[in-house]
Amino acid sequence: MRKIFAICVGLAGLFCTATAGFAADPGTEDPNNWPQYHRTANAWRYSPLDQINKDNVSRLSVAWIAHGGDLTMGIQETPLAIDGVIYSITSGNRVAALDGKTGQQIWSYEPRLNPLTKKILFAPYSRGVAVGHGMVFIGTVDGRGIALDQKTGKERWQVQLTDLADCHGCNFTSPPVVAGDMLTFGSTAGELATQGKIFGVEAATGRKVWEFNTIKQDPKSWPGESGKYGGGGAWMPGTYDAETDTVYYGTGNPGKDFVNAEREGDNLYTDSVLALDPKTGSLKWYRQEIRQDVWDFDSPYEIMLFRKDGKNLVVHLNKSGFVFVLDKANGNIENVWPISDLKNFVKDIDKETGELIGRVELPMNEETLICPSTFGARSWNSGAYNPKTGLWYNNVLDFCGYLKPVAQKVDPKDYGTGHTGSNDFGRLVLAPDGRKPGRLDARDPFTGERKWTYEMDVPGFASVLTTGGGLVFNGDPLGILRAFDAETGKQIWSFNTGSGMRSGIISYAVDGEQYILVPSGWGSYAAILLPPLFPQLEKVPSASTLIAFKLAK
Amino acid sequence: MTRVLLAAIASLTVAAPGSAQQDPDLNDPKLIAAGHQLFLEKQCAHCHGEDGRGGVNLARRNLDPAGVFQSITDGREKNGIRMPSWRDVLTNDEIWQATAYVMSISGHAE
Repeated sequence: MRKIFAICVGLAGLFCTATAGFAADPGTEDPNNWPQYHRTANAWRYSPLDQINKDNVSRLSVAWIAHGGDLTMGIQETPLAIDGVIYSITSGNRVAALDGKTGQQIWSYEPRLNPLTKKILFAPYSRGVAVGHGMVFIGTVDGRGIALDQKTGKERWQVQLTDLADCHGCNFTSPPVVAGDMLTFGSTAGELATQGKIFGVEAATGRKVWEFNTIKQDPKSWPGESGKYGGGGAWMPGTYDAETDTVYYGTGNPGKDFVNAEREGDNLYTDSVLALDPKTGSLKWYRQEIRQDVWDFDSPYEIMLFRKDGKNLVVHLNKSGFVFVLDKANGNIENVWPISDLKNFVKDIDKETGELIGRVELPMNEETLICPSTFGARSWNSGAYNPKTGLWYNNVLDFCGYLKPVAQKVDPKDYGTGHTGSNDFGRLVLAPDGRKPGRLDARDPFTGERKWTYEMDVPGFASVLTTGGGLVFNGDPLGILRAFDAETGKQIWSFNTGSGMRSGIISYAVDGEQYILVPSGWGSYAAILLPPLFPQLEKVPSASTLIAFKLAK
Repeated sequence: MTRVLLAAIASLTVAAPGSAQQDPDLNDPKLIAAGHQLFLEKQCAHCHGEDGRGGVNLARRNLDPAGVFQSITDGREKNGIRMPSWRDVLTNDEIWQATAYVMSISGHAE
């Protein structure tokens, strides 16, 4: 590991510069920046900056506040920070470039969206932008890829990738991945009567080069017509590994979500980790995590890359709570461990083959208690890994839900109805053993050994940040931002942001000062579905705010 | 020609959402039952709960039929959350059925 240089003057590193001389670990070039969705290609969400640390975090104060625009479904983004400029995207795909020192807007861009987005299920979510080749790239909620000039925000190209009207509203809710000269876009599809795709597009021109169908054309995998509306897709950003020129994606669940009677195959490539060639879209390998899913336990979460004991590994959390440790070269299983012991959908999993043991099937028209709930053992909001502590920090959701499959007509023009085989997404209940419904866990990413835990009455639904200053930052749905000692889990600072968090906290530095940037604004289906279980959330106000903190002088 | 145009305008007016001329009897048990069926099929229960006591609680609200009809037709965005628009997905008759069911479960203090 190469060393980060920090120059410190004064007591307790008060004036530590936030500039680093070298990169450390794969993809951590220029620690002052947060240049992609998970900051680095290894998807660690680790900032090596250490000016803000355990000794001085209590002196954090607000540097600036910026408003993100429309509040609908909250603020769900992980902003980027590159060379002192923040690139932000908020509800309805509004993009803005802001001065990282002041929050002043440099430019903004708002696409005119297809009116059909008013009818579809997954809008107007906007979870991030990608930057590269002097451009800012977005995937839109009406299924387009758009490139903007990084300096001016002027549109450079756009391309329609999904057929919004004929794919049950399948679209993009997450940013594309910059994979060399290519961009890859993953579409929504898991609750939609469609076949989810991943698209390869030339970054320079917007020309579509390939598309990968996440529904395998194979009658053994999808008997009869069952694959026609099989779902899948890849609704969160993938990971690009330049070393092997591979883009990794996790895919969505099969449809109808809770009914498997007509799809009695393995339902490839749903609930899988895919390794794709970004130039051609050809499949290098896949690892299906959940065969013939009926619990909505898909695989879109971050794909983390590690090198350990001479092996190149992928660590990937499935929504069910099983963490798969895979050989990066071929997807072979090295280990599987559970992020929570609250699970009854299977008795166990074979740690060598990944085979589910003792599946609980869902009888039609009856309620079955399934743990974890359809929110998963963790939500899509990412965890964070700190190479200094060797710990991976995750918000764990420890509650359950009753699932009741019902017969459902298939109608791709019925845009507002999920292709789920149900009347709802499960009646949420607390865990039968009375445990707290949420916690922040610090675990070894390869074995699952837990170092510390912080229990919560309302679970966390935001992405975690960890830093070289030995800190873990986590936001909760009530709006409380907390900083923890990364080694011990001791809470050492908190701040009320005024609204709940469903977004990604980042850190960056400009002119020698480190910032913690926090998007705050409660929304999404979590805001709609959680109040019956967590009445505290009924009164959480909506917002769309970026709050930047730095040390008080 | 003028007569044809006026007839067309009249038909548009009659078909307009929320038009008083189209308001059916929202207490009709058949209408409420049909609305209940739609409420389930279209997964309204997902957010509202089958009995109206879901995350977006209808049971505690005092709603007016025209407002409910309008919200179902054009969707609704408030307090950071959003309901999709059902215009052209459901017919006006179906939206009235759903409205009747919503009215039957709303306005009940807990």
